[in-house]
Amino acid sequence: MPLSLQRRDFLVGAAALAAWPRCLLADAPPGQAAVWENPDGTATDSVMVRRLYLDLAGRIPTKAEAQEYVLSSDGGKRSALVDRLLASPEFADYWAMRFCDILRVKSEFPINLWPNAVYVYHSRIRAFVTRNEPWSAFGRALLTSQGSDFRDAEVNFFRATDKRTPEGWAEAVAQTFLGITPDALPPARRAGLSKAFANLRIKNTREWKEEIVYVDGADRRPELCNRLFGGRRAEVAAAFHARIRGWIFGPGAPAVSYGGELRLENVLRKIALSDEYARGSVTGGFAARRLDAEVLDDAICALSGASRSYQSPAPEPFTYLPGGRPTVCVEDGSISSSFLSLFGRPARDTGLEDERGSGVTAKQRLYLFNSGRLHGLLGRVVMPGGWQKNPLSKLPVPQRVGDLYWRILSREPTDEERGHVMDLWRRRRERSKGAKPFDLMRDVAWCLFNTKEFLFRI
Amino acid sequence: MKAAKSVVEIWLWGGPSQLETFDPKPGASRDYNGGLKAIPTNVPGMEIHEWWPKLASCADLFSVIRSMTHGQFGHESATYLMQTGRLPGGGEVCPAIGAVVAQAKKAGYGGDLPPYVILTRAKGRFSEVGFMGAEAAPLVTGGQPNAARFAVDGIVAPEGVTDVIAKERFELLAQLDGWRPAGGANAEKAAAFDAAGDEARRISEGDAAKVFDLAQETDAVRGAYGRTEIGQSLLAARRLVEYGVPYITVNVPGWDSHKRHFETMKRRSNETDKAVAAFLKDLAGRKLLGSTVVWMSGEFGRTPKVGWESPWNGGRGHYPRCFSALVAGGGFKGGCVVGASDETASAPVARPVAPQDFLGSIYELCGVDPDGPMPNSKGKKSALLPPPSEAGRLHELYAEEG
Repeated sequence: MPLSLQRRDFLVGAAALAAWPRCLLADAPPGQAAVWENPDGTATDSVMVRRLYLDLAGRIPTKAEAQEYVLSSDGGKRSALVDRLLASPEFADYWAMRFCDILRVKSEFPINLWPNAVYVYHSRIRAFVTRNEPWSAFGRALLTSQGSDFRDAEVNFFRATDKRTPEGWAEAVAQTFLGITPDALPPARRAGLSKAFANLRIKNTREWKEEIVYVDGADRRPELCNRLFGGRRAEVAAAFHARIRGWIFGPGAPAVSYGGELRLENVLRKIALSDEYARGSVTGGFAARRLDAEVLDDAICALSGASRSYQSPAPEPFTYLPGGRPTVCVEDGSISSSFLSLFGRPARDTGLEDERGSGVTAKQRLYLFNSGRLHGLLGRVVMPGGWQKNPLSKLPVPQRVGDLYWRILSREPTDEERGHVMDLWRRRRERSKGAKPFDLMRDVAWCLFNTKEFLFRI
Repeated sequence: MKAAKSVVEIWLWGGPSQLETFDPKPGASRDYNGGLKAIPTNVPGMEIHEWWPKLASCADLFSVIRSMTHGQFGHESATYLMQTGRLPGGGEVCPAIGAVVAQAKKAGYGGDLPPYVILTRAKGRFSEVGFMGAEAAPLVTGGQPNAARFAVDGIVAPEGVTDVIAKERFELLAQLDGWRPAGGANAEKAAAFDAAGDEARRISEGDAAKVFDLAQETDAVRGAYGRTEIGQSLLAARRLVEYGVPYITVNVPGWDSHKRHFETMKRRSNETDKAVAAFLKDLAGRKLLGSTVVWMSGEFGRTPKVGWESPWNGGRGHYPRCFSALVAGGGFKGGCVVGASDETASAPVARPVAPQDFLGSIYELCGVDPDGPMPNSKGKKSALLPPPSEAGRLHELYAEEG
C-alpha cells in the first residue's frame, strides 16, 4: 500500500477503536513488564516521559528531565510536560521535519527545489508549526500562492513535485490534503482538481535557479480552496487527523475525529492527553515504533556528546551545515548520510508515508553491533565530558549502572538487571584484577543501545 | 546460454573522458586529444589510450563500446538513467540495476552476506534502491580496504572487541533486552527485531566476514592489484564473486575533471588501469570470468574539446552524447569494439548504444528478463526497462554457446 493513511483506513469508526487495543488485555504482564506497564495496562511514568519527548520533541529526554517527571508526584505532570514540549523549539523542528517529508522538501533530483528554495520553504513550514496555523489556512496559502521561489515560500508547493503540470498538481493536492494517493485518485476527481491549475505557469528568471510561479489568465485556485477548505472541510480534517494519528499510533490506527480541529498543536495535545495514548505497549496495545533515523542519530550524538556536521558537494556553491545542530533540523532531504539511509530516512521523492523505513533489518543491527563509529562513541557515552575530573569515575559500579540506565533508557534498572551486570563484573574481576569499570560500562552501554527498549518508542 | 552468477560494476563516478580511455583520437588536434596518443592492444587493430597499458595487454578479455549515448548532462539525472535505464520522472524512483539483479537472484543465492554489496562508499545523491526501500539496501562496506585491517562497518568487530568480550556482550544483552510484548503487532515487531539480530550475528560471526580479510591474499596478489583503494576494492570484489554475491559495485570517485583534467585523469587512469587489468586476469585465471559480468562506465563522458582557458586550465565538461564503456565476462565476448564515434569523439557514427540497451544486455546475460516486470515486493507492476532502442541490445557481443 503506497500510503498508509488512505481514506479507507481512517474511516473505520469508533466501534473499531473501542475493540482495538483492549483485545490484548487478556494477557497479564509478565514479571518484568512492570517496568513498562502498570497493572491496569497503562504505560509507566518512565515509558510515558520518553514517549512524550520522542513524539512531541523528536528526542529522548535527558537524565534530569526523565527523573524530574518520574520522581514527581504531581497529578498534573503529564499535562504540564505536554504544554512545555509543545512550546519548545524542538517541537517545531521535529514536526517541521515530518511535514517536509510529505511536502518533498529537497534540493535535488527528482524534486529539484534547489537550496535557496529549500531553506525558505522549510522556514515557512516550520512557521506553520510554531504559529499553530490551521492546516486549512496553510493549505490556502500554498495553493493560492504566486511569485518567486526565493521570496514567496509557498510557491514551492508547486515546484516540489516531479510533474509540474495541472495533473501533477492535482495529484499533489489530493495526496497532501485528502490523503488520496495518485493511483487511487478517481479520474473524474483528478480532472476536476486539474482544472484549478490549468492557467498556472512557471518561468525562469535571470537569477540562477529562481523561478516565478504565476497565473496566466483566470485564477481558479481560490475557488478550489473554497471547496476544499469549505464544503469539503470534513474530508480534509479527517485526512489531517488520520495522518497525525498514523504518525503517532502507526499505520492502520482506527479513525478518531477531533471535530473540525485543524491546528496541529491542538490535535497533538488531545492525543497526548488521551487514555488511548496512555496505554502500555506490553499488553495494552499501544503500537511501538522504531525510532526515526534522524531521532536515533540525535540520540546517539546527545548521549555521547558527539556532533554531526553535514555538507552537500552539489550544487555549487557547496552547502555546509555546522556541527552541533540536531539531524532533525537538517532542512534539505538531499543532504544525508549513510547512517540516515541505513535507518530509513525518507528520500522525499514522492511524499508518500511509506518512504520512511521503520522496520529493523540485519544491516541496521550489524551497525549497532559492530560499527566502528558507534564503538568510538560508546566511550564518550560512558564518560561524558571526558576523563578529567569526571565525578562518574569515582562512583561505584552499581551507581554507574544506574546512571547509564537513566541516561539511555530514562529509568532506574531493576535489581535483576543490576544483578546481571554485577555478575559479569565479578567474573571479569576473577579473570583479571586489572579489569576496568570503564570497559564494563562501555559493554553495558553497548547492550542498552541494542535493546528494543532503546530502539523503539514503546 | 547459462546465466551469469555475479555482476561487478566499476562505476567511474563523475564521468571519465572517452578520449583518454577507450576512444582515443590520435589524428585529431591537440584541442581534442591534448597531444596524447593511442597504444595498440593484444587484439590486432584495437587501440586504446596510452594511459591504459595494462588493460591493453589483456584486451582479449574485454570489449569496449565507443558509442554510448544519451541526453542527460547533470550528474544526478545521468546517473539515474545509466543505473535504471529510465529518464527521471513518472512519479516513482526506480531501483538501480544492482538492487534489481540482487532482488532477482537472492532466492538462488545461499550466502549470509547481503546479495548487493558496495565497496566502499555509496554513490551519494542517488538512491540505489529507489522505491524498493530499506529491505533491498546494499551493504556499503565503508572502511579502507588498503589498510592493514579492512574494517567493514558492521561486519568486522571494532578493534579491541575480542571474541570473549563479544560473547559476554551478547550474553548480557540477552539478559537486559527484556521488553517482550504479549502479542499483536508489537510482538511481531519484537520478533522481527530478534530475527534481524540473529541474521546479523550469523553474518558477522560466520565465514562471511572472512571474505573481507584481504590479509589472506599473498603480497604478490595484493601488489598486482595495486595497493590503492580501487585495487584492494577490486580484490575484495573478486573474493565476493568467489563467495557468490550476485551484485557488487565498486564506486571509484574522482572523474569529474572540469579543471586540470589531464593531471587528474592521468592519476586516476594509472591506478584504475592496474587494478582492473589485474582483476580481469585474476577472474580469468580462476575460471570465474565466464560466469561474472564486469562492466565499467561513468554516467557520461566529457566534452571532446578541451577548455584551455582559465578557470578550466585544460578541463573538460560533462558530455553524454558520446562516451565509452567496458564490458567483460559473463557471456560478453572479449576483444571487440562496438560502435564508433566521429573524428573528435563528439557523436556516434555507428551503432549507438542507449542506456536501456546497455543495461538490458546485462540483465539478459544474468537471466533477468529485461522485458518483464520489475522484481519487487511493493506490488509495483512497472516494466523493468523501457523498450530497446532501434539499434537494440548488444547481441553482437554475446559469446556463442559452448
